[in-house]
This record gives sequence, C-alpha cells and structure tokens, in this order.
Amino acid sequence: MAAVYKSLSKSAKKVEDTEENNNTTTTNGGFRKNKQRVLILSSRGVTYRHRHLLNDLAAMLPHGRKDVKFDSKSKLYQLNELAELYNCNNVMFFEARKGKDLYMWFSKVPNGPTVKFHAQNLHTMEELHFTGNCLKGSRPLLSFDGAFEQEPHYRVIKEVFLQMFGVPQGARKSKPFIDHVMSFSIADGKIWVRNYEIREVEKAKGEKDSEGNDIPEDKSSSKKRKGAPNAELKDTDVSLVEIGPRFVLTPIVIQEGAFGGPIIYENKRFISPNHVRSELRKSKATRHNARTEQVKERLGKLETLTAQAKAEKDVLDTRELFA
Amino acid sequence: MPRQSTRTKKPATKAAEPEKVEKVVEEKPQKEQKKRGRKPKQVVEETPVEDKMEVEEEQNEEETTTQTKADKQQPEQQEETGSDSEDGSDDEEENDLDLNALDESDSDSEFERDLNEKQSAAGIQANKYQNAAEEESSDEEDEDEIDIDDLDAEGEEGEEIKAISQARQTINNKQGLLTALKRFALGTSDKVPFAFHQSVVSKKVTEESIPAIDDDLARELAFMNQALEAARVGRALLRKEGVPFTRPTDYFAETLRSDETMEKVKAKLIEEATAKKASAEARKQRDLKKFGKQVQVAKQQERAKQKRDTLEKIELLKKKRKDGSGPSGATEAEDLFDVAVDNELKGKPGSKDNSKKRGRDGKESGGPNAKRQRKNDKFGFGGKKKYTKSNDALSSGDVSGFSARKMKSGGGEGGRAGGPGGGSKPKKFKPAPRPGKARRAASAGRR
Repeated sequence: MAAVYKSLSKSAKKVEDTEENNNTTTTNGGFRKNKQRVLILSSRGVTYRHRHLLNDLAAMLPHGRKDVKFDSKSKLYQLNELAELYNCNNVMFFEARKGKDLYMWFSKVPNGPTVKFHAQNLHTMEELHFTGNCLKGSRPLLSFDGAFEQEPHYRVIKEVFLQMFGVPQGARKSKPFIDHVMSFSIADGKIWVRNYEIREVEKAKGEKDSEGNDIPEDKSSSKKRKGAPNAELKDTDVSLVEIGPRFVLTPIVIQEGAFGGPIIYENKRFISPNHVRSELRKSKATRHNARTEQVKERLGKLETLTAQAKAEKDVLDTRELFA
Repeated sequence: MPRQSTRTKKPATKAAEPEKVEKVVEEKPQKEQKKRGRKPKQVVEETPVEDKMEVEEEQNEEETTTQTKADKQQPEQQEETGSDSEDGSDDEEENDLDLNALDESDSDSEFERDLNEKQSAAGIQANKYQNAAEEESSDEEDEDEIDIDDLDAEGEEGEEIKAISQARQTINNKQGLLTALKRFALGTSDKVPFAFHQSVVSKKVTEESIPAIDDDLARELAFMNQALEAARVGRALLRKEGVPFTRPTDYFAETLRSDETMEKVKAKLIEEATAKKASAEARKQRDLKKFGKQVQVAKQQERAKQKRDTLEKIELLKKKRKDGSGPSGATEAEDLFDVAVDNELKGKPGSKDNSKKRGRDGKESGGPNAKRQRKNDKFGFGGKKKYTKSNDALSSGDVSGFSARKMKSGGGEGGRAGGPGGGSKPKKFKPAPRPGKARRAASAGRR
C-alpha cells in the first residue's frame, strides 16, 4: 500500500517540472532528489598506479559501479550505451595513453556535458602513508575553492564533481555519519583534489576566544536539536588528517553532449604531454646537432690546412734541397 | 584599435569579412597544434573542431544581422571587440600576448554565436545529434588534412609554431557553458537542505593564499585550510539540520582503508620513529666518545698528579725528619706512614700552593699523553731497539723465575710451568704424589 502511495505521489510531483532529467526526481521539498550512479572504468593499457587510483575512487563512491576495462579509445560514445545498461547516469572513464599519460573523462550520461581532464601527480591511498581513515561509503563533505564560482567552465566542472563525488543522500551502501572532506582547489590552472579525514578533538582552552564565532552557533543548533547531548557538541573542535589519494586534474575540454557534441570549452593553457616530451627531445637534439656540427667544422678546417700546407712548397724542405 | 571603429560604426557593412578570414587563418595553427599533440585518429576529439568550424561559418554569415543587437545589449562588448581586433593585429608582433585579453576576445565571438543559437533553437541540439553521423565522414576528412598540415608544419620554423601554440585560439563558450550547467545542475541554493548536497564553496580563493605553487608545504596548507573551513561550516550546518555527524565510538564498520593498510602505515611510522631514535642515540654515543676520551685523559693526568704529589710530600717529610730529628732515624720507616703527619701536611695552606705549582710544572713536563705513552711503551721511543729482547749478562744471571721446588718435582710439565707464570699458580701444576714404597717396588719388579 505504502509503495503504491509513494509512487503515486511521486508521479504527481513529477508532472510539475516536465523537463526533468531521468537522474533527478522531485520530493516534498520541491528540490530535485539526487539520484546518482557512477560507472567507473578504465581503458586498456593503464598502469598499476592508474588502476589503484581507480580502485581508491571506487571505494570512496558507494554509488559507483566498477566495470571491466573498456576496449576502445576512439569509440567513446559506446560508453553511453554501457552506462545505460548499468543504469548509471555518470561515467568516470580513465583513458591511459602510451602507458603513462592518464586522461580522465567525467561525463553526465545521456545529455552531457563531458569534461576531459589530464591527470597528473597521482598518488594512491596506499603509497601515501597518511594516518587518516574514514568509513567506507560515508558521505563526504565537498569543499570547493572560491574560484569555482568565478568562471562558467569551472562552475560546470564543480557541478560535475558535485554529482560524481558527492554521495547522494540515502545511497544504498552509504554510512550515516560524515567523517571526511574532499577538497577541490584551483591553483596554477589546475584542480587539485585532496581527501581528508575529519577528526573531532577536544577544544583547547586557549582557543576558545578565537573560536568565539563557532560556539554560539553550536549553542543555537544544539537547542534546536532535541535530545542532543550538549556537552559533547560544545567541546570538540575539528581537525583534519589526510587520507589520500592525491591527484591533480587539468581541464582540457568540455563537450556539450555525453562523449560527443560540440566543444563548449577548451583550455588554452593545456599543453599535451606529448608536446612537452617532443620539445624536450628537440632541445636535446639541438645540443647533439651543435656538437656534430662543431666536429664537422673542425675536420673541414683540418682538411683545408693540410691542403694549404701541401700547396706551399717550403724552400728548406728536404725534398727541395736534395732533389 | 582601428578595427573597432569600423565595427561599431557600420556593423551592417562588410565588417564581418576580414574577421572571417582572420578566423580561418588562426584556426589552422590550432589544428596543427592538435595534430602534433594528439593522435591523429582520435575521432571524438577531432570532430568537434569540425562542428565549430561549421558553426562559425554560419555565424559569420549571420553576424551582420546580429551585430547590432549584440552591441546594444552589452555595451562592454565594444571594448572586448576592440581587444579582439587589437590582438589580431598584434599577433605577429608579440609572441607573449595578454592571455586574459585573448580569453575575452574568444568568448565574445562565442557570445555572438550563442545569440545565433537562441534565434535558431535547433542550433547545438541538432549538431549534437548529427555528431554521431558526422564522425564517420569527418574521420576521412581529418586524415586528408593531417597530411597537408604535416607538410605545412615541416616547412615552417619551430619557433613560429611555438609562438602560435602560445597564442592559439581556444573555445570558451560561456553562454553554452551556462546553459549546459542549467540543464544538469542540482539545486544547491539556500532553500535546499545542506544534507542534500553537502558541498561548501569557500568564499576565499585558495590560490591567493599560495605564495608559490612549487612550495609543497605552503600549498598543502592552503588546501587543508580550505577543507578545514568547509568542515567547520559543514558540521555547523549539518548539526543545525539534525543530521548525525560524529561517529559514535561503538559504531564499527568497514573503513575506506583496510586494517591491513593501516597496520602497514603504523609499522612505517614506528619504523621511522625507531630509526630517528637510533640515529639520535648513535649521534649521542659519538659525541660521548669524543668527549669521553678527553675525560679519560684528564682523569689519568689527575691520578698521575696525585701520585706525584704524595710522593713529593713523602720526600719532603723525609727530609724534614732527617733535618729536624737525627736521632730518631730508627723510626723513619714507621713515620713514613704516619697518617697524622700527612694530614697535618695536607691542612697546610702553603704546601697546597706548593703542590699546585708543582702540578703545573708537572703538567708541562708531564710529556706525552696516554696514547703516546702507550705507544712509547710498545714500540719504544728513541734509542736502540736492536737486541732488546735478547739475553744479556744481567738477564741470564737473573734467576728470579727459578724455583728449586718446581725443579725438584720434575717432569716436562713442571719444567714448562717453571717459568715466571708457573710460579704464580704452583698448586695447579702440582704433579701426582710419589707412589708408596710397595707400589714403587712392584713397578721396579715389573721392569
């Protein structure tokens, strides 16, 4: 009975806004209900580090669905069908090239947009010996840099992150407590991703004055919240311990569709790693070329000198003297 | 700046024409760059460029009509178009262009394009759906173009390409981005409860608090501060909404990092701590050793000094006794160990001064330190070293090591034990007692 009522009331609300994506539905509050599922997969040819990073991220996303390696690098639009097959509305695709470069595609599946990043400075959870830890599948607080609100493309990226990394309320395998923060910061035109554990520690007595702003807030909140132990709320402060993984994303391109469609943003500061490498090689080549040229020059000089010496006949040469 | 005037004054004329040419010219290097940087067969990446080209051409055709509208709607845009033309003209002269200006210039041309889109609602949507179909055809086109581009690139100078790559034109379709955002965004306004999205956007820009991007510590600190602020805000908001935040201590569940990994981390930490401790200990020991030698030497010197002092005192006392009381010389030996006298001597201030003086003198003439002394003992110091170990008249005459008793006891063992070492422990090497008379007789009989 309850289920029928639920579905009926749901459908009634659904009528209200018609241009709804299938990833969101409205509830009583009038806002969209957050329903996210993320398909997490990589291309072939990922290194172990890429794979470990993928595993770490998959562990952090209880609403994620890890899939086997995707075979193609050119027909990425096939991922749309794959996502549909798994009822996923987000795709996080790790594309490895040349066994060293990692590109990460973040796509909202049926209607886009798609953001392509170049991932650098990967450090997986295991290789970073941080002491932080958190519940598997607890909902993270997402901390965004203020710069995310300034540019439209950053706003799009922020929204994509919000939907991918933010574990939706009431997700199936999520835990009811909040004990970690994922932070996204923009520096040097890149997005730096970090993950911290929130540790609640006893507030030091000296700090009370500086934290004066927080305390009254807490008081009011504790008043509103019935049956909450006040003492527990008051005397703790927050400290952070990093968990990992760490990685840096350089946005390259934003497409309007899901793995397709027109490009609506292109990062001009992005230089392909291949280009960087080739420049490096070129610079090395110039050094070598200069050296070989020098050798050639020297040999040429020697030749001319010997020719000159031969041409000039010395009067005191033994052959001249005793000819 | 010259182009700005033409544009703003007569937008309905052929102002769009040169723009178009410029666009196409600038498009080429960008493509080249793409080809160089990425694999040529990346269909998904390449096709959108085609789209863009097409759209732009359309746009340029319609630009004349939309130009007036655009100018009226956004007066700032005039300035932007001004910067656009400026950039275009300066392109060959300056390699390092102002990137911001370029960005804006891109965006404004894109803005015009969006106006077109609004007019013809199909716009992007159509493109999007066509895209799949176009991919096949554009693939071939791309390959053709690659050859041409490569040839071009080979002809050109490397420097020039570099300059172009710095100032290459990129897409930043702000309006398109915003519409895309609107289409898929979840509401994160104030009306929505915080627990719905749990995202905190900092008011500060983190990059401003990073002095240098290469400074790892400062950078990580800035990131952490951002996260910390978010955690504080988020906690306050969640508590306000009555959402459980803190994990109770008796709540156990699977953690993100397994116990095994945490064990590893712990082991690593312990290892680090012990290594640190061990190195500190070693350093301490080293220091102590260095210092300990000095202490030892000082102690030895002190001892030597003490000995000298006492000997001198005794000597002095002897002299005194001899001078003072001649007849009582018989008890001299006893008096030597007279403690009372000795004590009295010690109590005397004059003698102390004396000893001190002597001590200082002694130090000067004290000669070599302990190490040197030891070496001198071992290797000799000056003088003849030859034959020092061979016997001479004195040593051969020395029979202090001889013991008649040992000789009497006889036997090889006794002889061996007869040396100076043997004398010290006679009992150990005591031969078996002489057998009784009967036994002796018996043994004699056997013989």
